[in-house]
Amino acid sequence: MLLSRFLNSMSIATQMPYVTELLSLNERTMAYNLQLTPRDIQDLMTARTQVLYSYGRVELGIEATKELIEVFSTSPYICQENYLSTLNELHEIFYYLKNETEDKIGDFKLIAMMKEYFDDECAGSLKLLRNNLEEFAENFRIQTMRQEYLKEGDDES
Amino acid sequence: MIPGDAGYAASDNQSLTSSNDINPSRLNKHQYTLSLLNEAQRIGLLSHQEVYSIQYKLMVILQDLIRRYTQGKSSSVATDTAESILTSILYAVDADLLNFEHPNQAITYLKTSDVVKLYERGVERVSQCLEEVKSLYKEVKQHKLDVPVAAYNTTIDESLPLFIKKYNILFEAHNTMASIDYPLAMDNMRLQGVFYMKHYLERLQLENEFCSRFNPKALIHIMESFGRLHRFDYRIELFNIFELCLHNSLFSILSGGDADQVQISAHQFERLERMLSQSDARGIEKMIHTSLKRLQYALQIHDPQTVDYMNQCSRELIGRILNAAKHDNLQSVIITDRPEKIKPVVMSIHTSNRMSDVRLRQLLDEVIRSETKEEKIRLIKSNFSSLHDYLDLLESDCLYGDEYEALYASFGDVELAILSKIVFYEELRGGDTELRTIVFQKKRAEFDWQVHLIEFMKRLSPSRVHTIEQLIDSICYEDIKFN
Repeated sequence: MLLSRFLNSMSIATQMPYVTELLSLNERTMAYNLQLTPRDIQDLMTARTQVLYSYGRVELGIEATKELIEVFSTSPYICQENYLSTLNELHEIFYYLKNETEDKIGDFKLIAMMKEYFDDECAGSLKLLRNNLEEFAENFRIQTMRQEYLKEGDDES
Repeated sequence: MIPGDAGYAASDNQSLTSSNDINPSRLNKHQYTLSLLNEAQRIGLLSHQEVYSIQYKLMVILQDLIRRYTQGKSSSVATDTAESILTSILYAVDADLLNFEHPNQAITYLKTSDVVKLYERGVERVSQCLEEVKSLYKEVKQHKLDVPVAAYNTTIDESLPLFIKKYNILFEAHNTMASIDYPLAMDNMRLQGVFYMKHYLERLQLENEFCSRFNPKALIHIMESFGRLHRFDYRIELFNIFELCLHNSLFSILSGGDADQVQISAHQFERLERMLSQSDARGIEKMIHTSLKRLQYALQIHDPQTVDYMNQCSRELIGRILNAAKHDNLQSVIITDRPEKIKPVVMSIHTSNRMSDVRLRQLLDEVIRSETKEEKIRLIKSNFSSLHDYLDLLESDCLYGDEYEALYASFGDVELAILSKIVFYEELRGGDTELRTIVFQKKRAEFDWQVHLIEFMKRLSPSRVHTIEQLIDSICYEDIKFN
């Protein structure tokens, strides 16, 4: 379709100015001995584009990426060696979760929750984080359905 | 704009040097901005960089709308949502750009002006159109015809107000978001959103205004005849009232009747049949054209839009007359008076007088508890008389296997005709196929009682099925309340 090609070509083209914006975050993350090189950022953005595409999502800014970097850079389980790969993995979990919770939870809230799981119950394990959040998403959907069902009942009565 | 767009690539070399004017015929009115950018880049009116810059500004608008859509809580959305919002943006931009007299002026404007302002002006135009729709709707509602046609009434009373209530100018301006069941005589389904609704309402108003010039009872009468002709219940069918009315008034004039008459007698039909079957295409065209002029003159119709609409609709009628005359089937186009046939004297299944729910449940329990099928049949026959109650009984699974057939065997032809009319409703529509053929061709049915009825009917003698078929024709759909 003409429109989806238009959308894809534009969302890729608009990524270029973000490199500088993300590089500037290094100033804050350096406090935790973490930093991204321009090459890392390009890799990160390429991986993010693929994840967005595979989960059928569109993001025209980088607010979520910036928030993931800022929030997770304070985790004691992330070091320079696993920084980029962890960020890539976190992006995938984040967009997966956005879909599974049907966009009903805001970005910041979702990222804060991911961080809490990551640092506490999962002790820095991305695999455990994914498992825990899959379970969370399932419970969230059931709860939402129940609430909607009850609301429909209220509306009818 | 989009690299390698095959749609415009073929004749690039031929037309590049010919002109710097955009050829409007190469533009798509329903994706105007995109096609305009494509075409302008193809003929060199816009550079790649300029197209990119315009697209970038559209993306900034999209980004802002995504934020507003998620109420600032999310910076990403599902692709479908983003596409829908972008379509909505382009709908508004189209609304503004389509107002330029020539596409070149639209391009100049795109090159030199602020795209955000252009978009905002488009939103304003969409918003104005919504206001026009609201006031048009009031008119339509006020002059609504008093006819028992479900699609017509539901569209006006429910679907159109729902559209006005739910229409979202920012995020779904392109979405028509209402199930408009009632068909217009001539529609433009390529239009979308509020512009479609405006077009729909304008035409509906025009159709209503025309139909209101005729006697309401006569209108209902031809609808009933139309339903009888096609063996369907006109109240639940999708058809256009204006078209029926226009055609029959033309036929009235053509057969010596008055312009404000829609009823065609058997005598008039004979006259029309003689005239039309003896004429060639040009002759028929001339006759309809003359009748149309006379109709417009007699009814004092001077509004150019109505005149044009009537002309368009009559062109289609000419094709249908030619086709029907060729197949000796003019009665399918000219709706003649079909008086209600004499109703059978005794109908043991009545369409009203339902029993109470409590009484019905008691009887159903008794039927279930009855030990023999003879006892069940006796109980049913002595207590059930309303069609609704019979249908409740049949759908309640109180009967099993041959008990259905025993009940049907106890029925007379009238009862079987009523049930057949319900079971074979779809197949009987159109009225071309014999009931016996329909019975043997019917393979599936929704309920058990219907399956057993089909099997029972298959075993009846051809002469009895023929009698039932004649009775079916004499039952008024208007008398059977399906709900």
